[in-house]
Amino acid sequence: MSVSEGRLRTLMAALAVVLLVVPVGGALWLGVAEGESPCILCWAQRTSMLLIALVALFVVRYGPRPRYVGMLVLLGAWGTFMAIRHSSLHVARDVGQGFALSIMGAHTYTWAWVVHWIVLMAGGALLLLVKGPLAGGEVKKDPGGLGRFAMGLLVVLTAANALQAFISTGPPPYIGQADPVRLSLDPARWVWSTGELDGALSWRGSWSIPEPDASAVNPDPADGPLAALVTLAPIRWESVTSEVEGALTGFAWVDAMGGGAGSNGRALVTTDHHGVYVLDGSLSQVLHHVALDPAFSVHLTELAGAAFLGPDTLAVTSTNKSYVLLRPDPDADAGLEWRHFLESDGTVSELRRSRFSTVRARMMYVSSLAYDAAARELITVTVPSPQHQQLVVSRFDRTDFVLSSEFEVRPGPGLALAGPERSLGEY
Amino acid sequence: MEALTFLIILGAGWLLWRRPEREAWAYGLLIVAFVLMVLLFLVGTHTSFVPRVNL
Repeated sequence: MSVSEGRLRTLMAALAVVLLVVPVGGALWLGVAEGESPCILCWAQRTSMLLIALVALFVVRYGPRPRYVGMLVLLGAWGTFMAIRHSSLHVARDVGQGFALSIMGAHTYTWAWVVHWIVLMAGGALLLLVKGPLAGGEVKKDPGGLGRFAMGLLVVLTAANALQAFISTGPPPYIGQADPVRLSLDPARWVWSTGELDGALSWRGSWSIPEPDASAVNPDPADGPLAALVTLAPIRWESVTSEVEGALTGFAWVDAMGGGAGSNGRALVTTDHHGVYVLDGSLSQVLHHVALDPAFSVHLTELAGAAFLGPDTLAVTSTNKSYVLLRPDPDADAGLEWRHFLESDGTVSELRRSRFSTVRARMMYVSSLAYDAAARELITVTVPSPQHQQLVVSRFDRTDFVLSSEFEVRPGPGLALAGPERSLGEY
Repeated sequence: MEALTFLIILGAGWLLWRRPEREAWAYGLLIVAFVLMVLLFLVGTHTSFVPRVNL
């Protein structure tokens, strides 16, 4: 099957009409009938659809010149990016939540994704079917009845959009808004703004969170944000004398027989080489050891904390709130565990590898892990960043590892900040 | 600014429809409108050029 240039031009005229009537005309109708005004991102997506219709009409008028095809691909690709970028603001929200109106259960900016994707697919399919080279002609061609109708429709709809855009966004230098008010013909209700021009440009924006760096932290409590802290004297110092590779990043202790280190308890330590070690009570002998593969499945940044969930269930977390559950297992299947571990002494099995999801602590790294056996909850504490100066404690149910509670730490009775500009977020 | 973009598209559409011998002008207006649309979208997403997701 192939398509002649004449048939292609007719098809393009038909596609332009569909594009103009359904998404562009539909959006215009939503503005007139429902009062819905597009936000600044919606305006760009609507503009893109109009430009695609315009390019289709260039093909109708002059034939399929390569630069028209190139522009069609550019518009389809950029429009798809815009729709994904716009939808990404809302797709992770809860059921039914979105921005402004929805059509058939999907909000309008989502439909721009579908439209641009169809444009790319339809454009590719038509190119496959075109007979001969893409040339077009220097001589203007008769667009035919359908082509003339499409051109008139484009002019009318573009003029109507220009009018709506003038009412909603104003003349230059005013531009579209993030939260536009509904369309009104009463000039007293028109809102013209340049607010979107404020703010710095950034490639990753608020999602560029630097990873925690303990070496940059001042360890002296006297320089911390809390005033007049009581100094706690150490009872004694313990040293890890067993052969552990790398710097320690997490430590947990399980008390097997009562008493502290040096008794029959066991220690769980993590290192900056993704090493996980179970040590004996004297901290001098390695009982079990693995080095986790940080790139297998769930990505593990540097390990930040360790906890015993029971005598034989070990939990470690990385700074990006991914976690791994392990079990000392003399009968570990070396073939099965190879995928989990870069190194292993053959006595550890991996039970689970997943991620903690948080609300207040979202987009913050964590620095520690603990386990509250009475409440059967795992606990993490965040690390502040330039974007998030907060200290957030998150608690996760041991049964399903889902968030149980979360709070921002504030000074309790008897504690005071060292100054009005200080905050526990500095921790 | 969006109204200006639509007026530019309107000009291109009008040339295409009523003055088809002005192809270069019409195509130039198409390019200008495309660039303006891209700039306005980037202004609207000034907090990040990439989608608001983990990369």
